[in-house]
Amino acid sequence: MKNIFLISAILFFSAPLFSQNKIEYTEYDLPNGMHVILHEEHATPIVAISVLYHVGSKNENPERTGFAHFFEHLLFEGSENIDRGDYSNMVERNGGTLNANTSQDRTYYFELLPSNQLELGMWLESERLLHAKVDIKGIETQRSVVKEEKRQRVDNQPYGSFFQNIFSRAFSSHPYKWQPIGSMEHLDAAEEKDYVNFYKDFYVPSNATLSIAGDIDVEQTKKWVNKYFGSIPRGMAINLYRDYVNLDSAKFEQLYKVSKNDFDKNNFLNPKSRSAKKVLNTYLNTPIEINRTKKDETSISGVIKETIEDNIQLPALFMSYKLPNQTHPDSYALDLLNQVLSGGNSSRINKTIVEKKELAMFAFSFNYALEDAGLGIMAAIAANGVSLDTIQSEFDKQIKRVKEELISQEEFEKIRNQYENNFVSSNSTIAGISENLANNHVYFGSAEKINTELAEYMKITREDIQRVAKKYYTQDSRIILHYVPKAK
Amino acid sequence: MKNIIYTLLLFLPFCVNAQLDRSIVPSPGDAPQINIKDSKVFKTENGITVIISENHKIPKVSFSLLMGADPLLEKDKTGLSDMAGSLITSGTNTRTKDKLDSEIDYIGASISASAASLRLSCLKKHVDKGLSLMSDVLLNAKFPQSEFDRIKKQMESALLNTKSDPSSMASNASSKVNFPNHPYGEVMTEETLNNISLEDIKNYYTKTFIPDGSYLVVVGDVTEAETRNYVQNYFSSWNSPNKANQKETSSFISSKGNKVFFIKKPGAVQSVIEISFPIDIGVGSEDEIALKVLNKVFGGGGFGNRLMQNLREDKAYTYGCYSSLDIDEHGSMFSAGGNFRNEVTDSAITEILSEFAKIREAEITDKEINLTKSSMAGAFARSLERPSTISNFAARIIKYNLDKDYYKTYLKRLNNVSKADVLAMAKKYLTAENCNIIVVGNEEVIPTLEKFDNDGKVQLLDAFGNVVKNMKPSDISKEDLICKYISKITMTTSSKERAKKIKKAKSILTVSEMSSAQMPVKITMTTYQKAPYTEATKVEGQGMVFMRSYFDGNSGNVFNMQTGQKAMTADEIASKKKSKGYFPELYYDEMGVKYDLIGIENIDGNDCYVVKRVDGENQSFDYYDKNSCLKIKSLTIVKTEDKVNESTITYGDYKEVNGFLFPHSNTTSFGPTTFNSKVKEIIFNQKFDLTDFK
Repeated sequence: MKNIFLISAILFFSAPLFSQNKIEYTEYDLPNGMHVILHEEHATPIVAISVLYHVGSKNENPERTGFAHFFEHLLFEGSENIDRGDYSNMVERNGGTLNANTSQDRTYYFELLPSNQLELGMWLESERLLHAKVDIKGIETQRSVVKEEKRQRVDNQPYGSFFQNIFSRAFSSHPYKWQPIGSMEHLDAAEEKDYVNFYKDFYVPSNATLSIAGDIDVEQTKKWVNKYFGSIPRGMAINLYRDYVNLDSAKFEQLYKVSKNDFDKNNFLNPKSRSAKKVLNTYLNTPIEINRTKKDETSISGVIKETIEDNIQLPALFMSYKLPNQTHPDSYALDLLNQVLSGGNSSRINKTIVEKKELAMFAFSFNYALEDAGLGIMAAIAANGVSLDTIQSEFDKQIKRVKEELISQEEFEKIRNQYENNFVSSNSTIAGISENLANNHVYFGSAEKINTELAEYMKITREDIQRVAKKYYTQDSRIILHYVPKAK
Repeated sequence: MKNIIYTLLLFLPFCVNAQLDRSIVPSPGDAPQINIKDSKVFKTENGITVIISENHKIPKVSFSLLMGADPLLEKDKTGLSDMAGSLITSGTNTRTKDKLDSEIDYIGASISASAASLRLSCLKKHVDKGLSLMSDVLLNAKFPQSEFDRIKKQMESALLNTKSDPSSMASNASSKVNFPNHPYGEVMTEETLNNISLEDIKNYYTKTFIPDGSYLVVVGDVTEAETRNYVQNYFSSWNSPNKANQKETSSFISSKGNKVFFIKKPGAVQSVIEISFPIDIGVGSEDEIALKVLNKVFGGGGFGNRLMQNLREDKAYTYGCYSSLDIDEHGSMFSAGGNFRNEVTDSAITEILSEFAKIREAEITDKEINLTKSSMAGAFARSLERPSTISNFAARIIKYNLDKDYYKTYLKRLNNVSKADVLAMAKKYLTAENCNIIVVGNEEVIPTLEKFDNDGKVQLLDAFGNVVKNMKPSDISKEDLICKYISKITMTTSSKERAKKIKKAKSILTVSEMSSAQMPVKITMTTYQKAPYTEATKVEGQGMVFMRSYFDGNSGNVFNMQTGQKAMTADEIASKKKSKGYFPELYYDEMGVKYDLIGIENIDGNDCYVVKRVDGENQSFDYYDKNSCLKIKSLTIVKTEDKVNESTITYGDYKEVNGFLFPHSNTTSFGPTTFNSKVKEIIFNQKFDLTDFK
């Protein structure tokens, strides 16, 4: 009894001693609603500049799936002040690199540059936000490029369609039912108004987070932030400005009842006439409402079991359970549950299914937690000659075991240590830090989570892990997909 | 009042900055100083070179132990070193694999091994425990049979999976065609995997995982003093009498002419294209930086390069088209390619080849060289963020004997590269005419690829880069085929009749006349065969004997002009014994010859049955015409120590002699040499003096 007390006392006192260096940062909102996060560190003379737009495939028109990702491609084409193809050239010419990615929930752009090119990076991102420009040639080219991307990543990839097949069955109405890559027919059908409206609806300061990390001087950086982003009109005025740039005089006047000549491109916020000032003020004071999706709280109705033929040699099993979204308090426990099942060589799934019983080449389980919902995905590529039913029943046994027996104290310590290690590693580069800060701000409403997240995990108890296994991993509500080689 | 002023001040910047000419591209500030910290290096008594790169940004440390041995040819045991790598962490004398795994995971660490390395990464606070596990693995690795069996099964499944993964298939083919007879050109197959034993693995480990020539690269939250302690505590008892083996092969073989290789992937919607060739350059060569600039302009990453601009941004054939330059101490290569939809496969190849031709013709532009040099300088600076970069620099300086300031002067040397230098590199190393064009995809695209091959032929390869023949399944059994063939050549219909006829043929004397483009003399070959085993051959011309052999059933000897007279080896005798008589097929059953009818292949417009025979390391393929059942060709692949030799005999002009059908016009090819032979006479049952043959 005394020993137990001693052990728990040690655990209690040792718990807060995480191997983490606190990450310092400054954050604030610009009057136009753009959120800014700055992290200063001088280890290497480079900077990471990123803008996270809170728009992903879930914000798409169901008739235009794949649009958010397609749009990401288009926003490298150029701007009012950058010719087609020069965007990436400017970055590379100045010793930098750039890229972007699109998920269900967000679109993320970044540059990594030598620290003396910080201002260039901010100018580039402000051009993208304020007045990107895309011509027909650019649209046609990127449409084909995206089709090749889909062929390469999905169609020609063994098992490449499994996400699509799981998500389309797990979500009946929520836009998670389609994948960010979307439908190629939809992209073919897109018209000019689709591009214009998507840009006007989502690429606005109040929907963007600017996150900069690295070898910066915070005061100087703030000045540049003001210069390039602070000067972007707030509310609907940004779209007034875009129309001013893109429409001819007649059309502009017809739409806004004020002459284009009353505005100055380089000093847009100070129009020449009283009537123009009035129009501007109206638009400045009309906020842009972003059409947010709702959290998905539906469950999978019954057991959905299907067989899918693919160009593969070894059959594979993909199973999925509905889990809560990433901000739900249970999400932490679900992450740890999956760590028990699938984290490292000594994890339960690897030990039994891969090593002891040799049922699968690979087998894993993870919590795919998104903004509106999560999925618990379990997958295995069968070892040669093993039936998928055998693997499935072994997965079921593992789930049953977590539900029935509390995990041991030792196993519990193990997964906590693993989490601590992963966590420390995730903030080892400035690119990683700027992305984590932006994500935490957007999804969790707090950049500070970068410093507190580990503590949240450490609060989870063994009982929590057992409880969430019981609550979410239910036999009577799940998806079971059998991937089998195509009949010749 | 004061507060109001503050508030106003807060808004002031927005008013001031509202006026902004956005068309002005910001100019850069002063270029930041790039400092490359020196790594600390020391050598231990047992021969480990320790390299330390301190970086205290995050509380983690990694220890990478790299072996000094050069890769060896694995031949029929290809995959041995990889398999050994997967088995190293399978447990130690005191820890089972389960125990080891759970102890590693318990501290949130990772310990991984490869064919020639062992690596630990963990939080600083767990470093002692981590190192004790790592050194236990290093010193006491136990290779349990059960784990060997399991990993073997895993690898079998992985090999099966390779057959559906187009990029693995392309990379296998690339290794094979660019590095023949080289460790890099060896690709594991089900067959080579099966040849690997647990003993082989243990031997490999004992020979390779030795302190001689090894490096321990320590990176992260650690000091030199701490490292010296760690090395003393955990690696000082590591000893071995073995020395690291030095490279046995690094011969550079250039490609000749454009060759097309195709790997079928049923149902593919894209073709994976790789156009590649080996290049003759070593690590630290003075050409290295200029060649890297060339690669970057051509297609080495980013969006601004020529391949990407042409094939993605202009033509939209692909999501990405890149080139890669691989400079390696054992074998270097250049390659370009990507994934392209089926319909544009040939157009993509045309474009890539034309880019190769173009970059050899004229200097790159100022814009290109400036962009590339800045971009490479930036990439170099960014790479310094990873603490492992600094230690890699140190390791390479020592390993490849580079100038000690090699990386400190890198940016300066990069800056000195001129357009003329880049053109010179293109002319020296790149080619549009000697490329291996590898395509993995849907077979419907094959006809569009023939035009790229110098011989107009597309060589089919399997998922592991081995040559495949267009094979259809056979419609008869192997026994039926051999029986039909025997009936045909003995001109008999019943086995009784046949036996009688064969019995009567006691000896056969054959005299042929041979000619060869390589040898402008008339050569006569005389062969005498006497039942059951006696066989004598003599090749002569212009009063000289070029070759002669004699075998009496138990022993024999061979003479040729180069090596003189030699007694037959045991292997040669065994193999002679198996090929009894003029028509060895007559005795397949009796001699227990193992053979398989593997299918029907189209040879020059005729369908042929293909019979495969395996004799130890050697393989033979016999081709029988599907209509006549006569043998028209034999291909024999003989493996010696380090070489694979192929010889082919074709048979034609079958004529009757004494109630048997004999081919009268034959060709024999061995490497580049081909002999044509015409049979002059065949005489049965004649007394013959063999003295000359012995």
